[in-house]
Amino acid sequence: MGLVAAAIAVGLAAVGAGIGNGLIVGRTVEGIARQPELRGTLQTTMFIGVALVEAIPIIGVVIAFIVMGQ
Amino acid sequence: MDTFQHMITRQRKWMFYLLALLVLGWGLTPYKSVFLGLLLGSALSFYNLWLMQRKIRKLGEASGESKSVKGLGTFSRLASGALAVVIALQFEDHFHLIAVVLGLMTVYFVIMIDYLVYKG
Repeated sequence: MGLVAAAIAVGLAAVGAGIGNGLIVGRTVEGIARQPELRGTLQTTMFIGVALVEAIPIIGVVIAFIVMGQ
Repeated sequence: MDTFQHMITRQRKWMFYLLALLVLGWGLTPYKSVFLGLLLGSALSFYNLWLMQRKIRKLGEASGESKSVKGLGTFSRLASGALAVVIALQFEDHFHLIAVVLGLMTVYFVIMIDYLVYKG
């Protein structure tokens, strides 16, 4: 049962990270293609966005491994 | 240097200061396992930060020159979180598990505080 729980947790975490990162990266690349001179600002915004999106999936993976290890 | 390069340098500097403080805490206080756990988590968190900065810089350069990049390294970062927990579970008497998880989250605090302080 712990294994199933861990698999669901990691899977949903990966789905969330994938969708979130996809949206962020898509819009940033679009922005840089339109205005290449704003690259630094857009990269900074994207960096903070990617960091915030990935914080929760990492916690999900951590909890999955803790559940699996016990 | 542009704003992104400045931010990268600042964040690395703060992470080095934090790691130095944690080493001091490990060496000078009796809470060895807590500080060792925080140190393990922060070290892997620093790796995550470095990887994220590198991949995003490459993506920015590539999209400016209309080239392509291979992924953003999301799964490497998830795997480094898993590695920290596996190490902590394997050597349970040396690493405090909650401290490892808190250590993994330090980089997000650094990023948020840096953003809030320097957003102007």
